[in-house]
Amino acid sequence: MKNLDSVFAAYMIGWTVFFVYYISIARRTSVLREDIERLKNSLNRGK
Amino acid sequence: MKKSVLSAVVVLLLLGVAAYGSFFIAPTDAKQGLIYRILFLHVASAWTGLTAFFISFVANLLYVWRRQPRWDWLGVSAAEVGLAFTTVVLITGPIWAHPVWGIWWTWSPRLTSTFVLWLLYVSYLLLRTLIEEPDRRALLSALFGIFAFIDVPLVFGSIRWWRDQHPTPVVMGEPGSGLDPLMYRVLFFSWFAMLGLMTLLLRQRYRLESMRGDIETIQRELEAA
Amino acid sequence: MALLSNTAVLLGKELRTEFRSRELLTTTTVFVLIVIVLFSFSFDPTSAESRRFGAGLLWLAFLFAASLMLQPCFLREQTSDTLSALRLSVSDPFAIFLAKLVANTLFLLLTELMLLPVFAVMYNVPVLPTLHWLILVFFLGSLGVSIAGTALSAISAQARMRELLLPLLLLPLLTPILVASTEVTAALFAGSPYVQWKGLGFLAVFDVAFLTTLWLLGEYLLEE
Repeated sequence: MKNLDSVFAAYMIGWTVFFVYYISIARRTSVLREDIERLKNSLNRGK
Repeated sequence: MKKSVLSAVVVLLLLGVAAYGSFFIAPTDAKQGLIYRILFLHVASAWTGLTAFFISFVANLLYVWRRQPRWDWLGVSAAEVGLAFTTVVLITGPIWAHPVWGIWWTWSPRLTSTFVLWLLYVSYLLLRTLIEEPDRRALLSALFGIFAFIDVPLVFGSIRWWRDQHPTPVVMGEPGSGLDPLMYRVLFFSWFAMLGLMTLLLRQRYRLESMRGDIETIQRELEAA
Repeated sequence: MALLSNTAVLLGKELRTEFRSRELLTTTTVFVLIVIVLFSFSFDPTSAESRRFGAGLLWLAFLFAASLMLQPCFLREQTSDTLSALRLSVSDPFAIFLAKLVANTLFLLLTELMLLPVFAVMYNVPVLPTLHWLILVFFLGSLGVSIAGTALSAISAQARMRELLLPLLLLPLLTPILVASTEVTAALFAGSPYVQWKGLGFLAVFDVAFLTTLWLLGEYLLEE
């Protein structure tokens, strides 16, 4: 069972990369949502 | 909302099955033992990355032709997602190489070409950050994206020829070099699962880009008013 | 054909502009010379090693020089605002690119041929027996560099940080040129009487592919 840790490490790291990327998209999306809220508010105040 | 949760669950299930297949169903390799199983992650990621870049290429062509923002959004999303998969290829490569050959980097055709591919699409994303005007940014990056993808077969072809000229004792077990049919099946299933993951990430990233596009439109209208 | 006559006129302009001041040629030549000398400090340029590494060093020097030399290509038009006048003067925008890339190929080739004897002497590499093949590979390689570089120069001229951007975009794209040219040149330096046709084939395919793409996309690169 030698090298099992390397195989595990590879899969763990691989999935971590995808997970981190997914989280980064989610974070950027929520930042944008806040921007949209702010814009909507300024639009409403302008009316 | 429900549909996206369901599709995420489906993709996770597929990935789980692929991982199970990689560890337990695929037979043991005579030469490399256990370590070769990284191949199912490494090669499937490489093929998926190329698929994503191809999608980006088609989106770039469509943008230059039609000038609809949605193709720009798809182009950058596919490029970024492709970059994520390509990064995994570059990380799993050394993890595979080190236990087997004692070195971290093998100048194998796939790994070397993938590195160049990675650099090309990082440049694509960098180019986008350096152009502020949205329409200009979309057009110029689409044009660069087209040149970049045209280059891809040339990169892979020339590097393969280069490595053939200088054969080293280190040869990565690249597929086609004697994979058992059961291994092929597990590999193709892994690729299928990865394509599911790619679609998921692509959809999320596209949504983000379309939101950004909408904000830019609203901001422009606000400034004009 | 209108394309050829337009191109000829524009090419004449490009060549006249350059040969009046010769600033592009001189600075590029000096730059390649500096790179070649600097490379020699990073390893011992004895005969055996220089033949092995020489071709790679030479082509790297060419590529670095080209990525600097190609920056003014469209930047010059932008700063003096001549691009719209240029576009109005021709029926086919591809003439503009054709003229520029022919001129750039010529400048690169001239630089390379001027520096080849210097390189041969400094690194003790035989070039006379295979000179015709060397000229061929220099030509095909420089043509590819020129085509891609001219196209990308039009892109980078419209972005920020353009001085750093052009090399950044261009160098990864030119990997096939570097790989194929180095292999062919190295074999020639090692004294092989036959040229590596496959390498030249890669260069030719690169040139045709990028020229065709530039022909199809040229007008969009120049859009206002």
